[in-house]
Amino acid sequence: MIKIVNLNKYFGNKHVLKDINLEIEDGEVIGVIGPSGSGKSTLIRCINNLEEASSGSIYINGKDISKLGKEINHVRQKIGMVFQHFHLFPHKTVLENITLAPVLTGKLSKVEAEKKAIELLKTMGLLDKKDEYPNSLSGGQKQRIAIARSLAMDPEIILFDEVTSALDPEMVGEVLNVMKDLAKTGITMVVVTHEMAFAKQVADRVIFMADGEIIEENKAVDLFENPQNPRTIEFLSKVLEY
Amino acid sequence: MKVLELLFEYRTYYLTGMKITLLLSFGGLVAGATLGSIISLLKLSKFKPLSVIASIYIEIVRGTPMMVQIAMVYFGSYVLTGINMDGFMAALIAVSLNSAAYVAEIIRSGIQSIDKGQTEASQSLGLTKGQTMRHIILPQAVKNILPALGNEFVTLIKETSVASTIGVADLMYASKIVQSSSFQPFSPLIIVAVTYFFFTFTLSQLVGVFERRMAHND
Repeated sequence: MIKIVNLNKYFGNKHVLKDINLEIEDGEVIGVIGPSGSGKSTLIRCINNLEEASSGSIYINGKDISKLGKEINHVRQKIGMVFQHFHLFPHKTVLENITLAPVLTGKLSKVEAEKKAIELLKTMGLLDKKDEYPNSLSGGQKQRIAIARSLAMDPEIILFDEVTSALDPEMVGEVLNVMKDLAKTGITMVVVTHEMAFAKQVADRVIFMADGEIIEENKAVDLFENPQNPRTIEFLSKVLEY
Repeated sequence: MKVLELLFEYRTYYLTGMKITLLLSFGGLVAGATLGSIISLLKLSKFKPLSVIASIYIEIVRGTPMMVQIAMVYFGSYVLTGINMDGFMAALIAVSLNSAAYVAEIIRSGIQSIDKGQTEASQSLGLTKGQTMRHIILPQAVKNILPALGNEFVTLIKETSVASTIGVADLMYASKIVQSSSFQPFSPLIIVAVTYFFFTFTLSQLVGVFERRMAHND
């Protein structure tokens, strides 16, 4: 379970997260939507401490991760993250990208890790790419490898930071399909996205953020079909116009 | 053919010169690279005093002429500590200290040129800072570092010629001796120029081979 209490984040004088309170149950799929610069990405980057909270607490399974120090690495092993720009390791093959972390953290032996990587690649439909380097792949393929890379650590939670925003339109679908299948497995997912249809269809709960605050949160269908706050209404009317 | 005759006649001077120049270059390269790596880590340190010390060191070394540095080590070692250092030792220390500053900057900028996303991806998988540096950052940074490092080593070979100013019998010193004892101002210089060029050209070709081998991994 993720529990965020009075989280504040400043970049210099800029107050980017204002007193965020949020609870996410195990197995929940949360969509986070809102205009650019509203703090969505910063929020999920705080959940694995890639951004340090300025004040407040973030509890993962009851442990406050903002006060962990070096032990944060162990917590991060259970929290996967997929980035907008993939960040695959360009000097490693696809297979090495996936096996690197499980082997280095001592979670799996090399043989086990490779077996697991091959299974993951099979489900992604990318087994034939296992010996290629990331540079030779399309954006959609890269992002699916990045998802496989974080799944190789068997995370309990996986964070998606606008993972389709850098993709060509025809590749968005293949990545969303993988995520849709993943949502059914019972893993906890926090998905920052601009794909409203996806959020509505796949998320259990959707959070609308603006100016560093959670403006509204509700069940996905309710938030999209019956928004309460005027700012949510305004935002949705703009993005759903076309 | 005057040049070849000259080379043969004074071959002992030239051979000693070559030996000293090569020793200075190689010693400076090894010591400079080692020390430079350490200084680059200091400069990248999050602990402010360390990075400030490293910056000050780098700025001073880069902002003063090699000839001054070499003289300062040579004369300073006696004035400040009372140790009577021989010229070769002083030159080796000065060359190493000088090269270290440049190497440190090359390594630092190579490491910092790697996209921050690489570090974030690695840390998000639960790898430690050390693992991230060793398995993710350094292997990529090496490709940026190596060409610049090759240039620095070429520069280092040439800069060792300054050692002749404190009487170290390197190549440049040999040419001065030959100039004065043969009464020929120009020909001895051709010999040293060709020799220095041979050293630097060989080195840059070697670095080129390394670079191409690295490029295969892309």
